Amino acid sequence: MTSPEPSAPVPPLSGDTSAVVGWTAALRVMNVTKRFHTGREIVTAVDDVSFDVREGEFLSVIGPSGCGKSTLFKIIGGLLGGFSGEVRVGGRSIQGPHRDIGMVFQEESTFPWRSVLDNVAFPLEASGMGRAERLDRAAHFVSLVGLKGFERRFPSELSGGMRQRVAIARTLAFNPKILLMDEPFAALDEQTRYLLGDKVLQIQQATKQTTLLITHNIGEAVQLSDRVLVMTYRPGRIKAVVEVDLPRPRSDDVITSDAFARHVAGLWRNLKEEASRGLAESEALVSGGAG
Amino acid sequence: MAQGASLAAVVAVWAAVVNARLFPGDIVPSPAAVAGRIVGLALSADFYGHLRVTAAEIAGGLALAAVAGILLGVAIGARPLLRRAYEPWLHYLAPTPKIVFFPVMLMLFGVGAASKVSLATLGAFFPIVLGTISGVREMDPVLVQVGRGFALSPYRMLTMVYVPAIRAALVNAVRLGFGVAVVVVLLAETKLSSAGIGYLIIDAYRHFDMPLLAALVLVLFGLAILANAGLARLARHGAPAVSR
Ligand SMILES: Nc1ncnc2c1ncn2[C@@H]1O[C@H](COP(=O)(O)OP(=O)(O)OP(=O)(O)O)[C@@H](O)[C@H]1O
Ligand SMILES: [Mg+2]
Repeated sequence: MTSPEPSAPVPPLSGDTSAVVGWTAALRVMNVTKRFHTGREIVTAVDDVSFDVREGEFLSVIGPSGCGKSTLFKIIGGLLGGFSGEVRVGGRSIQGPHRDIGMVFQEESTFPWRSVLDNVAFPLEASGMGRAERLDRAAHFVSLVGLKGFERRFPSELSGGMRQRVAIARTLAFNPKILLMDEPFAALDEQTRYLLGDKVLQIQQATKQTTLLITHNIGEAVQLSDRVLVMTYRPGRIKAVVEVDLPRPRSDDVITSDAFARHVAGLWRNLKEEASRGLAESEALVSGGAG
Repeated sequence: MAQGASLAAVVAVWAAVVNARLFPGDIVPSPAAVAGRIVGLALSADFYGHLRVTAAEIAGGLALAAVAGILLGVAIGARPLLRRAYEPWLHYLAPTPKIVFFPVMLMLFGVGAASKVSLATLGAFFPIVLGTISGVREMDPVLVQVGRGFALSPYRMLTMVYVPAIRAALVNAVRLGFGVAVVVVLLAETKLSSAGIGYLIIDAYRHFDMPLLAALVLVLFGLAILANAGLARLARHGAPAVSR
């Protein structure tokens, strides 16, 4: 429009504090829209989504099932093309997978033919690091996620929660500038989820790891995040940005505090409408109403 | 044990047939005569020279087919569009007898080893490429995404993700390819060549040396059994249970 700047800043979002000085964006998602063309209909999975992840920040994106979270995850990770808008890391527009971003997937993703240690050493091996050095580094990350003593085990000999820890350790060993996780705890039971969440929280607080977590779990988002982005259901837009001002460093007893409960309630009010819309739509589909 | 007994039974029947003179003695030689020729073969340097030629032709063809089959198989298998375009053709072409291409290979590569190697490559390529494609199709797609997410080079994607992920399918495909390569090389050697086990067989036939012919065939059986057992062992080795 009238701006002479080719790289003009994104229009501010509601609740966006980018005008406040004192932080830099590690990751910028700018007006990203993704449509899927299936048979007869076009699904807008992500609709004009813009946000920044600040250096050292823990940001969560929360939204009901099917709202486009994994789609956004794959776009940011460089695994999915054919979208409009832009994703920038360190000021540069990304084209495809990027060394600065480390991904943890929603699905089981350990390599079944590799031991725990060799799984974690995978990205180091891929970047050409020598055997002794990479196994050494991998051992460090294995113990960081609490799997010391399981180095020689294979994924088939571990529980689901342990496998997910292997996947997280593997991505941490990659030493990315930005840790990008898609519902890494979704398949776990509630207790394991909180404990593993706390593990990630402690690691993140110790290393100031910039983290973008995608989740549909409200408690998890509050427990871990500095800010939470709430996404709408179909099309996936950003509805609200919620600051979680629980004090840091946080420990695992944060989840029993009153402030935690207040934040959970606040987020639920934001999400309720979206979740019910998602549910109603899928019910309509089931009853054969949709054509 | 049972295998040893069955072998002994076959030899006994064979000896009985010869003793009963059901066939002229010079067409079906006695087990003793054949055993003598096998020992003779085992002691002749000449035989090992021919064996090396045949083994090298098979190994060369199999190696080329494995490289081409795995590279193309992964390239095609990983892309649904290419898979739909090429997989049916490969399936149609796979069972056609590759020996019909022998005259072409002779013209292109001459009567030496190169024409046999190229024929073996062609024959072994189909089972290997098809096995690779189906292996890639069955594999867990998230493993590919993990590799891509770590920004792996195409070479590392192949060696660190695809090949280990489809290892079982690959070993089976290479075994099938080996079988085809053996058949094609021996057939080609009997048709037109100056070296190799197939050449020795057809040469024995030309000189009507039936004990030698039988000895060569038996040695060949023995070697094929050994090679297959070796490949089967390869299949069982390595990674533990891949299921979760
Ligand atoms: N490859 C695809 N082709 C067509 N439609 C797709 C494809 N991938 C996703 N979609 C659609 O896009 C929408 C968003 O999917 P996505 O996987 O991003 O949701 P999600 O928020 O991650 O859900 P969940 O919480 O259940 O994992 C869904 O309606 C889905 O059906
Ligand atoms: Mg998802």
